[in-house]
Amino acid sequence: MNRRSRTIFTASLLLGLQSITIGSLNAQGILGGSVTGNVQFDGQLSRRDSVIGSSDVPEKLLSNARADILYTNGNFSAGLRYEAYLNPMLGFNSQYTGQGIANYFVSYKTQTFAVTAGHFYEQFGNGMTLRAYEDRYLGLDNAIRGLNVMYRPTNGITLKALAGQQRYYWDTRGLVRGLDAEFSLNDIVKPWNESKTRLTLGGSFVSKYEDDETIPADISGFKLNLPKNVGAASVRMDLAHGGFGLQAEYAHKGQDPTVMNDFIYKNGEALWVSASYSQKGLSANIQAKRVDNMGFKSVRSVTGEMLYINYTPAITKQHTYAFLSMYPYATQSTGEMGLQADFMYKFKKETLLGGKYGTDLHFNASLITGLDTTRIGGKGTDGYSSSFFGTGDTYYGDLSLEIAKKINSKVKLTATYGYVLFNPIVEGHQGEMHHNHVAIADLTWKINRKNVLRFEAEWMGSDSKYDPNVDDKRAGDWIMGLVEYNFTSAWFVSISDQYAYNDGIGNYYNISVGYTHNATRLQIGYGKQREGIICIGGVCRQVPASNGLTFSLTTSF
Amino acid sequence: MKRFILTIAATLFFGLSFAQNAKLPENITIKTLDGKTVETSVINNDGKPIIVSFWATWCKPCNRELNAIKEVYEEWQEETGVKLVAISIDDARSASKVKPHVDGNGWEYEVYLDQNQDFKRAMNVVNVPHTFLINGKGEIVWQHTSYVDGSEEELFELVKKIANGEEI
Repeated sequence: MNRRSRTIFTASLLLGLQSITIGSLNAQGILGGSVTGNVQFDGQLSRRDSVIGSSDVPEKLLSNARADILYTNGNFSAGLRYEAYLNPMLGFNSQYTGQGIANYFVSYKTQTFAVTAGHFYEQFGNGMTLRAYEDRYLGLDNAIRGLNVMYRPTNGITLKALAGQQRYYWDTRGLVRGLDAEFSLNDIVKPWNESKTRLTLGGSFVSKYEDDETIPADISGFKLNLPKNVGAASVRMDLAHGGFGLQAEYAHKGQDPTVMNDFIYKNGEALWVSASYSQKGLSANIQAKRVDNMGFKSVRSVTGEMLYINYTPAITKQHTYAFLSMYPYATQSTGEMGLQADFMYKFKKETLLGGKYGTDLHFNASLITGLDTTRIGGKGTDGYSSSFFGTGDTYYGDLSLEIAKKINSKVKLTATYGYVLFNPIVEGHQGEMHHNHVAIADLTWKINRKNVLRFEAEWMGSDSKYDPNVDDKRAGDWIMGLVEYNFTSAWFVSISDQYAYNDGIGNYYNISVGYTHNATRLQIGYGKQREGIICIGGVCRQVPASNGLTFSLTTSF
Repeated sequence: MKRFILTIAATLFFGLSFAQNAKLPENITIKTLDGKTVETSVINNDGKPIIVSFWATWCKPCNRELNAIKEVYEEWQEETGVKLVAISIDDARSASKVKPHVDGNGWEYEVYLDQNQDFKRAMNVVNVPHTFLINGKGEIVWQHTSYVDGSEEELFELVKKIANGEEI
């Protein structure tokens, strides 16, 4: 058979199989079970624009596509994912270029036992020792390909063990082994079963193996003595009593000289604590963390966002308004200290500040600094020492106050004031600290049951000025306007513009049209877009920078 | 090989449009807001309809949807017996803020954490909000992604139909 006839043959065979499967699926026969999935296609036809930084795209059309197919039958499931980057969209690593099956697995799971072979995602505790996860819109996927087992010997005890290699674009690299145990004391200790206080304890151990290689030391003629196995361990707790909650995790990592920490031999550690109180209409949450040399990758010589074994979350608030999220903060895994506080209060209906419908108040503040360090030496030494409570340079700070109020049965208004401090060193640049003031008004007008208009106005005043040498296109003072019209939840049109009116450059105009039917959504946009989280047409998603025509189709079935 | 894969994908895709309603998975691990590990089989409403809504603390449309339904939730429950189960996909960055967020907003929904996003993947959720409607037999009879002010009324029309045993 030639290639074409073989393809046709395969297709008809598959179609035949499919009709049998679906026939018996309806009849719940031997092949029973269900097949579900999702498909996503994003494309951009780009135009070059040196002002906003979108580069020349010789191939004109860039596209990311993927399809997940999942088969489930009782305790058994299997899945595969096809991905195609022809060629990858702006902001995605060019090593993604290509297409093929990027992920496949088979899994069997009951309440007490689970095993997965193939690609899997997993998280131990808060992820400080291990978190295999993906974010399709950021081009991030550190799935582990190997074996993952879960076992519950008795109610309240969960044990996990895994081993495998991590995804690296179209390849797998490194070797990761991990163990995790979690004890829910209320389920284990009978008299505590019905207690109002719940306590969960956990611990994990993760190790990576990598063969030796030659990394020259600072003294000529010598090379570094590299550890082949590097381990990290953590302990954690989760305590809840009515409205009170206290969660904490501490992680420690052995000597792990990598290109990220410039091949120093200092141990890594991280501590995270979160305390909260809440009751109906009122809540407060405070978080603190300290991260010191805790970047943990399965390959020592790789930079970039891939191959991370662990995850040290940024505790700062995830803002979604354009100007408040203009300078997003990402954890500095080499070292940082942070504090974050959140407060929510609801003024009840028919009170002075609550009015007829009630008023919502939301406040947050955060401050992140570097560590207070003293240099010891370079490559091959401990690098530096750090004091536990000492702080270094300020990296990031923010403060925001949001008031949401229903004016009448048709109009809702959210007003926000924010202040953001941002040190360019966080993104690897030198320069002065940015101080930004942000004011936002977000108004929704429900004209009637089918027609809804939304207006958003934002202002950002900054002491930063555009400097061609640094080329930070976010610098300067900005204004933004957005109008969005929705016809039921099916159609929307939105027009927006961001304009640097002082000390900055750029004019980001965008028009988008979208159609949603059940779980299928099609969106077409034209204009210039910054990368970041965009919430229009009723959904939130991360978008890459673009200039020109973009289209996006997602569907689940 | 490429062509072969494309053929499989296309075949599955077109073939599947005839597939019947999938059931809500029962064996996915999720957590309650006070840290207890449970399976998705806890999502139950004694034969009455269930709304399963995937959301995140940082997602504005999700918050608008859950706040809008809050205003009418009691009426919905009285009329149809429906229950709303909110699944937070917040990761380690914001998962510990979910309980304060839920209480601060005064939501009376059953809320679970899906930090490892196992449930999200099993349900093929791509963007939030993503809302599913489950009938009395545990079958997923409808799903929708996105929320616009007022679309909770469309949702309730469907809930009423299901509560009456009608097809949608």
